[in-house]
Amino acid sequence: MKIKINRRNFLKSSIVTSLYLAGFGLPSFANTVSKKNLVIIMLRGGMDGLCAIPIRGDKNFEKLRSKINLETTLQLNSDFDLHPALRTFKKLWDKNLGSVVHATSIPYTGRSHFDGQNLMESGGKVPYKIKTGWLGRGMNVAGLTGNGLALSLPMPLLIRGVPMNDNYYPVEGTMPSEEILDIIKNEFEIHSEKDLSMILDVIKKRKFQSYGSRRNSSLALNAGQQLSKIDGPRVAVFEVDGFDTHAAQGSANGAHADCLKEYDNIIEGLKSSLGTEFNNTLILTLTEFGRTIKQNSSNGTEHGYGSAILITGGLVKQSQVYTEWPGLKKKELFEGRDLNSTIDARSVYASAMSNVFGIDFERIRKEVFWGEKLQNLSDKLFKIS
Amino acid sequence: MKNFFRKVAFGIGPNEKVPNDPLNWSLNQINQIPELSWKGKIYAEKELRKHYREWVHGDRKVLRKKYKDNKTLYKIKKDELRHKTGQKFWESLELTIRHNEAINGNNPVLTKFWLFWSNFFAISDKDFLANYSTGAYHREIIRPNLNKSFEKMVYDATVSWAMIHHLDNSESAGPKSITAHEDWRRRKKRPATINENHARELLELHTVSPEAGYTQEDIIQLAYIMTGWQQRWSKSKLETGNVWFNSEYHQPGKKIVLKKEYKKGKKSLKAVIKDLVNHPNCRDFVAMRLCRFLITDEPTQEMKDPIIKAFKDSDGFLPEIHKAALKVAFKYNDKFRKFQTPENWFIQVAKVSELDWPPSPKIMDSYELGFRPTRKQRLPEKMLNELGHHPYRAKQPNGWSDISTDWLSPELLIRRLVFAKESYAFSKSKNNNIEFYEKIINRNFDNPGKIMSYLNKTNSFYQKQTLLFNHPEFLKA
Repeated sequence: MKIKINRRNFLKSSIVTSLYLAGFGLPSFANTVSKKNLVIIMLRGGMDGLCAIPIRGDKNFEKLRSKINLETTLQLNSDFDLHPALRTFKKLWDKNLGSVVHATSIPYTGRSHFDGQNLMESGGKVPYKIKTGWLGRGMNVAGLTGNGLALSLPMPLLIRGVPMNDNYYPVEGTMPSEEILDIIKNEFEIHSEKDLSMILDVIKKRKFQSYGSRRNSSLALNAGQQLSKIDGPRVAVFEVDGFDTHAAQGSANGAHADCLKEYDNIIEGLKSSLGTEFNNTLILTLTEFGRTIKQNSSNGTEHGYGSAILITGGLVKQSQVYTEWPGLKKKELFEGRDLNSTIDARSVYASAMSNVFGIDFERIRKEVFWGEKLQNLSDKLFKIS
Repeated sequence: MKNFFRKVAFGIGPNEKVPNDPLNWSLNQINQIPELSWKGKIYAEKELRKHYREWVHGDRKVLRKKYKDNKTLYKIKKDELRHKTGQKFWESLELTIRHNEAINGNNPVLTKFWLFWSNFFAISDKDFLANYSTGAYHREIIRPNLNKSFEKMVYDATVSWAMIHHLDNSESAGPKSITAHEDWRRRKKRPATINENHARELLELHTVSPEAGYTQEDIIQLAYIMTGWQQRWSKSKLETGNVWFNSEYHQPGKKIVLKKEYKKGKKSLKAVIKDLVNHPNCRDFVAMRLCRFLITDEPTQEMKDPIIKAFKDSDGFLPEIHKAALKVAFKYNDKFRKFQTPENWFIQVAKVSELDWPPSPKIMDSYELGFRPTRKQRLPEKMLNELGHHPYRAKQPNGWSDISTDWLSPELLIRRLVFAKESYAFSKSKNNNIEFYEKIINRNFDNPGKIMSYLNKTNSFYQKQTLLFNHPEFLKA
């Protein structure tokens, strides 16, 4: 079935007005000249923080990874290197627009992908208990209705919890007419299908045509254009799959390198399409856990604990590897096998939301993360405006 | 009540009679496994694996070396090899067989369970499994087990070639095994270690689930038990040899999983699987997954209990488990309507409105190895990819979600709207009349009058198609 796309309406410029008229609270940026954007790139499968940001000169570490050590690296500072696939990240680092939080994780040590991914998105501690994401709840606190954009086919749990989110993942085909959509919408309402009805509202408000590649590099160009608009979304979420490298992880090239490259392509696409709005943007990674220090006999790594968060964007305070390094000696490892986590990753995300959404950190901590003990890292990691 | 026919199957076709007793109609379909109703060619898993072998060996061992200095020629030769090995065809053929069984088979309820278990023991999108093997794995490993015990299904799935490859178990070597002491390991700096991937998923996804509270040590011990189960490797077959138990890779000594002890050796895998499937958390997990698939995202204990009991009483005999699940689904049919996943929905659209779907045996059998498949021959694969629910290409080993909210987003709804509209292109010209729509609505809806008046808001038949299959009562079952 050859089908040509002719879809209308994506993030209609009148969204702010229509939401206001519909009774939703106005997003807080509406009265300001510029807005800030927050982008989260989910790295699914367990990103190996020590592959992305390896420690320099640790002979024991090199020995444990004799088959997957990086032959070449890009140097970040005297203590840490950078995976060579992260070329855009390095360029940004060199301009004080990239930083790393190392030896960090969400507070989950169970090593299950699926429980872990659920928790990295919900921000909770018990898998599948929370039905909203920390980002969605944060947006809700900030009144950012209709300001979320997922660059994936499903709506990630991470961004659920605030109404009227959109997603973009082009499909071949033509949409039914406006008249038909109205009939269906009416039927959704008669049957009290609130979720379906709201989704159809979002679809009907879309403006631009949908076509082209579903590759992350292409989606990033699209997202950047939307985020750069004053009445565009303020939050975007990407997904990169494939970090679960139990076998043939590779080193400078290979499976993990390909995934890191895909991440790098996203930030490259965002940098070019955001234009000057890159200065008002924060882009952070999120993963469920890191990987074991030691390689296995399949030249892969197993599920671990501590990993790293890669941060880019104009709102980065400075190039730095921010860490309370736990060490890699056996006794310093989590359960004798994994990089430990010394920073609750949720502190980083809570601080990022506080900074970008202009909401007091304490409020985020209480209303998004149930008052859990989190550290405000805003002044350490981000530019304070 | 008529939504039950879609809840546990794929709806009632325009030429089928509506069963008077829906529950018995469903219960009568699950004791026997009939031959597949597909009249075209069906290829054995081993035969398809031979093509997989020709592909990996030809590419990895021949072309990459031969054309290492000529990327253009390498690309051309690689494309030729793809077609020589049918890489772009088998997947669509398998999807065709699957959809044909759902739409034209005599036991659609059984097929619904086939789809469920194929996803429960999912092979996600890895290497070239979807191209050559996953469909055949569903056919030859999952389907014949639908009237056997859950224990046997777990075991067969665990030692299947596709699953062993999917979850890297070939790579797992006991640190105290015979191979651990081999010289080449020292020379190549490749000490023998376990690969935890398969053991972890056997616990988490295929049996007891994390609710059982197993520890990291349990995972390691289970991985020790599983060491040795691998693809028989050779220079000519590479990783495509049959699965066997290589005792040289097996970790010696006793192992303890969930406080139970197992001796070393080949038989320990069977023993541990027996214990895992008889663990209370396994019964609860299976019951929860079945209820979540058929009834609601949040199954209650009352829903799960009869399935758990049937599991326990029958020693995990799948037809009894299925019967219990059907009875529960019937009991809660009017109260809970489950949002249908895209593939389920698409099959229902095709069946209910008698679409020219899937491609016919004539179309599929006209494929010639070595040639590029035609657009029609590749359509099933393309269609399901576009729909966002290709059963052989889930992103992770937990398969596709059966939670409704995971299927709710603007882009996902857009696909329903687009595909419902485009499905009209597959309708038979004899059916382009209002009587046909009356017929299918009478068979599949309890309130035909209301649905017809909704449909009559447009005169165009292709728009009726869009309206009908995006009606909230059709999106759920």
